[in-house]
Amino acid sequence: MTNGDSIDPVLWWRDGRIWLSVWLAGTIGLGAVLLGDAWPWLAGEPQASFRDTKLNSWPLSALWWVLVPAGLWLQKNLSLVDRRWPWAVILHGLTAVLITGLFIILAGGRMLLANHLPAGYLPVMVQDLRWLGGWNYTPALVYLLLIFALYAFSFYREWRAGQRLTGALRVANAQLETRLVRASLDALKMQLHPHFLFNTLNSITSLIRNHRTREAEDVVAGLGELLRRSLDHKQEARVTLEHELEFLHRYLDIESIRFQDRLRVEFDIAPQCLAAQVPGLILQPLVENAMKHGISKDPAARVLRISAARDGTRLLLTVYNDGPPLPKDDAELARGIGVQSTVTRLQMLYGDDARLRLRDQAPHGVRAEIILPFQTVSP
Amino acid sequence: MTTTPRLHWWISLALLSLGGLMAMIFLGPRQSLPVLPRPPEEADVLRVAYAQKLLPDPHQRTFPVSAHNHFILCLWEPLVECDPATGEPRPAAAESWSWSPDRLALTLKLRADARWSNGDAVTAQDFERGWRRLLRQRMDVAQTLFALKNAEAFHRQTMTDPEQIGVKAIDLLTLRLELAQVRSTLVAELADPLLAPLHRDGAQALAGNAYVDDPGSLVTNGPFCLREANATGYRLQASPYYHGRAEVRLAGVRFIRANTSVAPLLLAAGVVDVVSPALGEDRPSPTNRAVRKETELVLAVNSIAFNVNRGPLRDVRVRQALALALDRAGPIARFNPGRMTPAWSWVPDMPGRTGLVLLREDGEEARRLLADAGYPAGRGFPILEMSLPLWMKPDPYPPDWTERWYRELGVRTHIIYEPASVRAQRMTPIGEYDVLYGNLIATVPDAGDLLSGFLWPAEYSETKWSDKEFARLMNEANRKTGAERLSLLEKAERLAMEAVPAVPMMFEQRQALLAAEVQGWYADPLARQSLKRLRLETTATMNSNPGPRL
Repeated sequence: MTNGDSIDPVLWWRDGRIWLSVWLAGTIGLGAVLLGDAWPWLAGEPQASFRDTKLNSWPLSALWWVLVPAGLWLQKNLSLVDRRWPWAVILHGLTAVLITGLFIILAGGRMLLANHLPAGYLPVMVQDLRWLGGWNYTPALVYLLLIFALYAFSFYREWRAGQRLTGALRVANAQLETRLVRASLDALKMQLHPHFLFNTLNSITSLIRNHRTREAEDVVAGLGELLRRSLDHKQEARVTLEHELEFLHRYLDIESIRFQDRLRVEFDIAPQCLAAQVPGLILQPLVENAMKHGISKDPAARVLRISAARDGTRLLLTVYNDGPPLPKDDAELARGIGVQSTVTRLQMLYGDDARLRLRDQAPHGVRAEIILPFQTVSP
Repeated sequence: MTTTPRLHWWISLALLSLGGLMAMIFLGPRQSLPVLPRPPEEADVLRVAYAQKLLPDPHQRTFPVSAHNHFILCLWEPLVECDPATGEPRPAAAESWSWSPDRLALTLKLRADARWSNGDAVTAQDFERGWRRLLRQRMDVAQTLFALKNAEAFHRQTMTDPEQIGVKAIDLLTLRLELAQVRSTLVAELADPLLAPLHRDGAQALAGNAYVDDPGSLVTNGPFCLREANATGYRLQASPYYHGRAEVRLAGVRFIRANTSVAPLLLAAGVVDVVSPALGEDRPSPTNRAVRKETELVLAVNSIAFNVNRGPLRDVRVRQALALALDRAGPIARFNPGRMTPAWSWVPDMPGRTGLVLLREDGEEARRLLADAGYPAGRGFPILEMSLPLWMKPDPYPPDWTERWYRELGVRTHIIYEPASVRAQRMTPIGEYDVLYGNLIATVPDAGDLLSGFLWPAEYSETKWSDKEFARLMNEANRKTGAERLSLLEKAERLAMEAVPAVPMMFEQRQALLAAEVQGWYADPLARQSLKRLRLETTATMNSNPGPRL
């Protein structure tokens, strides 16, 4: 027996072969009992009488044992015409009539044999049964109820299968979406890395030109560490804020070499926020923008403040620099790769539950705020 | 896109074939069918249909009574038989009898030429043996002999010496019966098929149905003896030693088991010659076999019994009101036209006595009587409990009559259908019921037999009614015969009907269907037709058709 033929021990009752075997065994057993009991009569023994056989005395309802599989089979075949429901109704109605007629004829036949009448009297006997109220219409009712139950079960099974399919599709869809988001994030990261790499390499070049080789070495080492962490980041869509801040420290270590003593970095992180889940590399573009468009544009600017706080169910991340205000042209602001990619990633990961806000902060400086759901990984 | 069902062609063919076959059967010929020819070996064999189990044991009773009587009286012969026209007893196994001066002892002289089917002489000891066996049977059959001295005590085993029973064989051909008290109907009662004798080997043949394997072992004293017994019936042949063999025109009798409803069809088809009783409505015959219907009044009364110990039923005005409110003819016309007749007295027409008209129906008078009794329009009247056996559920009469009580009098009745065991518990001396419905069958063609039901002890009485004057009249009647007795019985009947412990509702008419060739049939209100008197006058062509296997 191949794997495909093996029977799941839990779902054995769904296997039609088992039921067919049971039915066959039952039918053979029933036939053997009836024939065995009637054998003396069939063999013409003088003391035997059809009247006393089980063929005569057993209720005709035993016939349903034979008819039920036929009914199941017929229902399965007639279900092909379900879309032509009038045909199905007519055919099932006719079948009900035929089964009822069969029961009546068998009852008449039994009376015929029990009362020693020849076969030619069967029509009379059948009509006599009608006079005597012996036309039993229960078989029609039983058949129609059986068919109704089969259809109901069939519809229920299809509905359950549909439900299961819908569920599976939903899971598959969600998995696909996740993979799509992850792919998009990776693509965005791939946009960020060259940008960052370009700036850093420029810085290294500048350091070498100025014979600051020791610092250039430190930057190269820091860059190597950053790239390693960046690769780790690619595996995960979200990281802890603590992890993100470590990455940011490495990045700022490189940037501080570029800006030497002019850069003052301040961290204001609420301890309970360290475990919060945030998109990987979500702060780096904002910090990079603060350095590029803020601190580097104004020689007087030197403060870069990164803060994290919890506001109920939300996590508030802030990157502030005391550089020049935002440009007036919104289009230019929106075109920045860092801002654009951050907005896109927040949208993909949180939908409307997260947002990025850039604004000037009096008396001077720019504040970038990210608001997103406060989430932690369950232990 | 298809417009027809996608069914396999062979499914359609199978369904069509099955439908066609059924149509042929349902619409097949139902008239002018050929009559099955009588097998040559059965040229003088009467074939009788019976529906329920028959036993060739004379000391057990099966139903319906007519089939039982016909069968037993073919095999066994009691001491006397009753003239169906006059009801008077006439000799059978006994050729004469005489009473003692105090009418407490009856001496019967048996026929000297009476023989068992094996040639042995029938003796008085055989009757003594048979009756002792009968007394050891169930009460419903044993009570047939309770008129004899110590018979009831022997049955109840309070007296164990059989010699003390009032039946004694004085010599081979003389039987002496001693009575507990005077009973003028005793001789007629001896015609009961239960009072058959028993051959010395008879008990052995009846035990364990040994006669099935060895029919000859069942030795009987009737006009026929057993030749074959099997599941489909019995084949009897004329007994060669029967004293009246010369008058028996039949070579044998076959009792063929058939469904009650199919028996008329068997008659039409030529399978049987007699169907008695014939039940159900007449239906068109599928053959041209000539069949006639014979009708006879049954000596029985269907009645509603009131428990006079219970609540308002203690008041005779209430019982009279309930009796007056009933409708007999209407339900009979709806349910059993031709088979039942309204009963206006307790005793139906019987040989030598025409039934009286003592009751009437009058709703207005019924309402007045009920109001006089303190229940105007049924107000305050408790719900009556009517206990009926489970098998009586299809009987349409009790619901119809009780509905009438409600419509006419505002009296409600709760009909309780229950098993015999539960009903038996209600039959206490006081009676745990209000109303019963049943039927009382006479065993002798005498009005006193049916009226004696009101004399039964409280333990067995359905009505629990007793009346000293009624008892006096009945006792007096038992000491008289002829017109004097009839007059006393009439007074007793009038008294009982005025007290209304029970309301007679219907008398039954028994019908028999006979093939035209059956001659000699006669009406017998006790359904004790002796088939030995029948003959077949057939001109039908014989052939070799073996007929049903038996």
